[in-house]
Amino acid sequence: MLPAADITACDREPIRVPGAIQPHGYLLALDAEGLAVRFWSANWGDVSVAHAAMAGLDEPKLKSLTAGHSAVAVGGFELHGQALSAWAHRLDDVVIVEFESRAPKMPLEAPLYELARDFLPQLQGVSEVQPLLEIAARELKRLTGFGRCLIYRFDADGHGEVLAQAMDAGYESYAGHHFPAPDIPRQARDLYLANRFRLIPDASYQPVALLATDATTDAGSLDLSLAYLRSVSPVHLEYMRNMGTLASMSVSIVVDGKLWGLASCHNHEARFLVPEVRAACSHLGQLLSMLVEAKEANAEVESRLALRKITLELVAHLSDSDPTLRGLVSEPTLLLRMAHATGAAVVLDDRAWTAGETPDEERLLEIADWVSGMGRDVYDVDQLATVLPSFAAQTGAVAGLLALSISRVHRHVILWFRPEIVKTITWAGDPHKEMVADAAGRIHPRRSFESWVEQVVGRSRPWSTAEVNAVTELRQALIGIVLKRAEEVAAVASELSRVNKELEAFSYTVSHDLRAPMRHIAGYVDLVLESEGKLLSPRSNRYLGHVKDASAFAGQLVDALLDFSRMGRSALKLREVNGEEMVNSLIRELSRQDAARDITWKVEPGLPSMSADPVLLQVAARNLLANAVKYSRKQAAPVITIRPVAAEGFVGIEVEDNGVGFQMQYVGKLFGVFQRLHKAEDFEGTGIGLANVKRIVERHGGSVWARGEPGVGATFGFLLPQKSESIPANVAQP
Amino acid sequence: MIKPILLVEDDPRDLELTLVALERSQLANEVVVLRDGAQALEYLFREGEYASRDEGNPAVILLDLKLPKVNGLEVLEAVRKSATLRAIPVVMLTSSQEETDLVRSYELGVNAYVVKPVEFKMFVSAIADLGVFWAVLNEPPPGSLKASRIYE
Repeated sequence: MLPAADITACDREPIRVPGAIQPHGYLLALDAEGLAVRFWSANWGDVSVAHAAMAGLDEPKLKSLTAGHSAVAVGGFELHGQALSAWAHRLDDVVIVEFESRAPKMPLEAPLYELARDFLPQLQGVSEVQPLLEIAARELKRLTGFGRCLIYRFDADGHGEVLAQAMDAGYESYAGHHFPAPDIPRQARDLYLANRFRLIPDASYQPVALLATDATTDAGSLDLSLAYLRSVSPVHLEYMRNMGTLASMSVSIVVDGKLWGLASCHNHEARFLVPEVRAACSHLGQLLSMLVEAKEANAEVESRLALRKITLELVAHLSDSDPTLRGLVSEPTLLLRMAHATGAAVVLDDRAWTAGETPDEERLLEIADWVSGMGRDVYDVDQLATVLPSFAAQTGAVAGLLALSISRVHRHVILWFRPEIVKTITWAGDPHKEMVADAAGRIHPRRSFESWVEQVVGRSRPWSTAEVNAVTELRQALIGIVLKRAEEVAAVASELSRVNKELEAFSYTVSHDLRAPMRHIAGYVDLVLESEGKLLSPRSNRYLGHVKDASAFAGQLVDALLDFSRMGRSALKLREVNGEEMVNSLIRELSRQDAARDITWKVEPGLPSMSADPVLLQVAARNLLANAVKYSRKQAAPVITIRPVAAEGFVGIEVEDNGVGFQMQYVGKLFGVFQRLHKAEDFEGTGIGLANVKRIVERHGGSVWARGEPGVGATFGFLLPQKSESIPANVAQP
Repeated sequence: MIKPILLVEDDPRDLELTLVALERSQLANEVVVLRDGAQALEYLFREGEYASRDEGNPAVILLDLKLPKVNGLEVLEAVRKSATLRAIPVVMLTSSQEETDLVRSYELGVNAYVVKPVEFKMFVSAIADLGVFWAVLNEPPPGSLKASRIYE
């Protein structure tokens, strides 16, 4: 693991208010209103000299300074025969004037002009950040004459990586090296944002103290954030000396208001830069910042467009063909490409579909569980084992995880995986540096700049913002599809329920209206038989008997149809039903009805407790048991066996008899309304009993089945879904 | 004087069967036959055609559920709302046991509910039982009026 850039000892150094300046210039700090001298640098020699220096300054200009603007030239002064030029800037209510020796000779051409003439044309036609940085590093080195120019970028953790380098022979190469985050303390980073140019011409300098004109004021209170002469942290000077470079200069690269990176130049020997060169360096830094910002934005837009195109393709594919999320894996290339992953999985509740290289199903479910538990729509991690330690052994193909949670209610998760990249990081020194305080309590940065090599294992390439955004967009699109689908289903369901209602109303009306004529036929035939039967021939009597039976049977059919229609309408009132008690009471009831027959009832132990409507479940069970009794009527020694059955998430009952049985080819007809497999003379009945069983069981979300063999017997059973934890039948219920 | 039995039935064949059944139960009560709900209400409230009938309520009303103009449930509702008629026992006759009809009848305070059996013998015994219970025993105390006789 890399150390995060947190507060170290360096973060507490007061670098903005060092109370001292570097010795290559002189400083005055004036009251912004009256221009009275408040602070002066000790190298003026005497406060009277400091006051005298005011004479060469342009007072109206000093008074017109605005806080936050860059330093402007405000005149000069001659000290001990040395011509000084003065630059001033304002910070709050203080005007800081910095004096430096006027350059002995001006460059032939203004460096800024050279920059515009030579550097800018090179940038045209460069479309990527990397070559841009290389050109900039070379230009910076040429401008400053420093021995080595590095350009490095900070990553999300604050570690710097050297991306471009230009250097002379005799300098150590830092190409590809990493600078650990603590090398640049946090408050230094903040300062680099405020003041984007720094120069330390000679790291072996002796700081010049600042003195206050008013004895009660502490010179250490003057904020030198924007002062060019600001004395830097002794720790930094020691760092520079350790690196073997006495002069350093850096220019901040600021992208989107954040410190993106630094252009940093070093020289073995002390090196001073004239103001014109410094100005050119500052401009180069600003140019670089703008160009990097533009190129990164372009790259971001391009990759976002490319990813969006893939998202659209995926979504189009999904809405055209397979309506469910698992259809995503039928386009494995797109699914993988949209997150630049090597493996992907769609997990819907307890099932997983995969593309590419993924962990096994059990592992996928474990990850999906963990992801849905987080309650986040999108989650990404480039080192899965650090958050899911059980995956430590699994790294390799699944070091990085990008997860998309589609539903908060169901476990509907899409996962992408990236393999481990065994990355070798070359550090400019051990990032796990230890700060050692000396006797005086001062901290020293490490003295060794030998490269320190670390191998990062178990870590994948990090998921980019564009990728995370792309899958977030995919989520929106998928939810759109799912919602549309749900609406369609709801529309179909409401249409279906309307048709069902119509059908039921129709069947009710039909039954109701059919019942009256049946009653009339039966009634009047009865009346005729009663009053005139003796006068009619036996044959006529028999015919009328048929009429009566037929109408009575038609009446029964109508009643059965009515019951069947009612069965589908009444609301289910679910309770726990003790299967054993129910079966035993039905056996008693059936035995009473048919007391003459000697049936062997075998009730196997462990009949389940079921979550069902007690009345309807009893109707279904009674039908199965009564059928077993009926169809084993011709059997000399009828045996009826009732046994428990179970499947995952389901429990039920099976009834087996050794009666007439049936041919399996007709099994599909058994559960239909008015479907009969036997002649009416053999076995009476309306043929609606099993249809009722099926309807009841299916209304509970269960299933029915039948097995049979002619002359051997038949087995009928049903399974009902288990609601929550069902109570075993042999456990007494409270 | 014995109060009459009021029979409200629109189907002529059902009417004849019901009359035969009543005849066989050998009740002394006169049977007043009405063919629709509107007629029944006129009779009960002594309006229109029946404005001049003698005072007095029937011993029991045998009321078919499906009736032209004003259906059985509406007649029942009107009877239960009227102070003078409220105490008359009402037996609902119907072709089938449709739950919503049944529930509604009980809500409106029906005394009994008969699903006309297909078998004529059962029909006769059902009608006879009811006649004896409501017409001969007559005027049961209010509050003990509810009974259900359902033949399937």
